[in-house]
Amino acid sequence: MFRGAFTIWGRDMRVLRRSLFSELLAVVAYPITLYLAFGVGLKGYINDVDGIPYGMFIAPGLISMTAVSAAFDESAWSMWFHRRVQHTIEEYRVNPISVYDIIIGKIVSGFSQGAIKGIVVAGVIFLLTPFRFPAVHLLAYLFFIIFGSMAFSCIGTMCGTVVDKPENIGRIQGVVIVPLIFLSGIFFPLSSYPHAVLSIVKLLPTTAIFEGARLALLKGVMDFQYCAIAVFTAAVAFAAAVWIFNRKIEG
Amino acid sequence: MNTAISLQGIIKTYNGLRAVDDFSLDVRSGTIFGLLGPNGAGKTTLIRILTTLLRPTAGTARVEGYDILASAKSVRRLIGVVPQENNLDRYLTARENLVLHARMHGLQAGDYNPRIDELLELTGLAGRQHDFPDTYSGGMQRRLVVIRALIHNPRVLFLDEPTTGLDPQSRRAVWDYIQTLRSRMTIFLTTHYLDEADTLCDRIVIMDHGKALVDGSSTELKEAFAHSHRYLLTFRANEERYEQTLRSLPFVRELERSGAVFRLELAEEEYLKPLMDSIGGPDIRSICLEEPTLEDVFIELTGRKVRE
Ligand SMILES: Nc1ncnc2c1ncn2[C@@H]1O[C@H](COP(=O)(O)OP(=O)(O)OP(=O)(O)O)[C@@H](O)[C@H]1O
Ligand SMILES: [Mg+2]
Repeated sequence: MFRGAFTIWGRDMRVLRRSLFSELLAVVAYPITLYLAFGVGLKGYINDVDGIPYGMFIAPGLISMTAVSAAFDESAWSMWFHRRVQHTIEEYRVNPISVYDIIIGKIVSGFSQGAIKGIVVAGVIFLLTPFRFPAVHLLAYLFFIIFGSMAFSCIGTMCGTVVDKPENIGRIQGVVIVPLIFLSGIFFPLSSYPHAVLSIVKLLPTTAIFEGARLALLKGVMDFQYCAIAVFTAAVAFAAAVWIFNRKIEG
Repeated sequence: MNTAISLQGIIKTYNGLRAVDDFSLDVRSGTIFGLLGPNGAGKTTLIRILTTLLRPTAGTARVEGYDILASAKSVRRLIGVVPQENNLDRYLTARENLVLHARMHGLQAGDYNPRIDELLELTGLAGRQHDFPDTYSGGMQRRLVVIRALIHNPRVLFLDEPTTGLDPQSRRAVWDYIQTLRSRMTIFLTTHYLDEADTLCDRIVIMDHGKALVDGSSTELKEAFAHSHRYLLTFRANEERYEQTLRSLPFVRELERSGAVFRLELAEEEYLKPLMDSIGGPDIRSICLEEPTLEDVFIELTGRKVRE
């Protein structure tokens, strides 16, 4: 059962291991730059947010952002590349494994990349800052990283499955993924939104993943609605990714 | 004899275009079957249907008795596929490519490692097995794709233009290897090299516009289409005079001359005697019948026009 998925995931992790150092350097540079620019550079200008130092306020969001973006990128580009450039998906498909093996293998690979990169960025931020959190908070936080990476890996897989031109994947990132991430309040408290908008923003899956993660890490609170939305999003995205891949690939 | 591949009424349309049009075929186990046809005839489409990559619009197909739709996984367990375009993983070394394939077939390291060693040795790739396929020449990549398809000892091997882009040595090496597989598996290949089909295939189908045009062994096809009677005639002397004579004979249809050699086509075979009578004997060095080639058959069936 799922031998094929496991084999494909093993292949992806072997390839990742080869270029791990340069990958991590590239992936850590962006959130750390943001952290230094906003958390340190603006420190004197921004008061504490709800009693939390600003640097600490943005740290969980930057980690989550790294994880979900990495999961999306890996899944979208990898699926696109294997399907359109190398045609390795076709080689997989003439072997005695199922379509589910392929899609699950690819989704888990994207998820693994997201989780690994998120954890590395977390490590670097914790090294650079004096912030320390109880183990229970970290565990609760991990819940959101996992479901967030899962959901974004599935969304990336869908893009890589249906989008044929590479520039369109870049456009989806710019028009959908990045705004969703930034609007969910990485750099500002959600209370800044007007009341009417807030109730909508709170339903966005990214809000659940980012705000839920922040509440978990900073306060140790597991907000039920956010947990439910995160799990629901991951489940729906998974079902949709599997269905779309099945439809598209069988021609 | 068992049937390895069976197609019944297969149709495949792409947005209204019929790439495969009501195609039926049975291939017996253990044969080398060649599918020929001009560009766009539908060869790759048929292979993609048989290898479970593409759903036919209508019709049924079976490989080793398994339905390609209902028992796709059983079909995939038994087939090896060499696609028209190499689809190697350029982030894995040659050997890792082979190992990945073996694992997807559920083979254990103890079984696949010796087999991979053997195949790499046989194709002269052993020394480069830890290099990435990007650093290989086209011919080496092709050989790697071929051995990848053989790791799990398939019962039916599909080869879509296996030797396109190979140098004569590599082509012959691939042919020799295919010959050694003959008794062990059924081979379904497409090619644009008619000499390749002539050398390798027990049975040939020429198709065009999604339909089969003829079916038979190479010899049968040539005989069926050998209604041209072409001869090569060589003289010792007096070529100029003989050319005049030949041009005046009403039953000589086409005449080409290069030096002392004449290539001519007779309207009917029975004009051979009148021909000999009119040119006499002493100056003739040789006369021989030019056998029709598979290429003549191919061109006759599919026309001279280049496909879009
Ligand atoms: N994905 C596709 N979408 C639309 N049309 C296609 C597709 N694939 C193939 N076709 C069309 O189907 C027909 C048959 O193509 P196919 O690739 O099977 O030909 P072929 O015999 O393999 O040709 P070649 O010798 O050039 O490889 C062609 O007219 C081609 O344009
Ligand atoms: Mg083709």
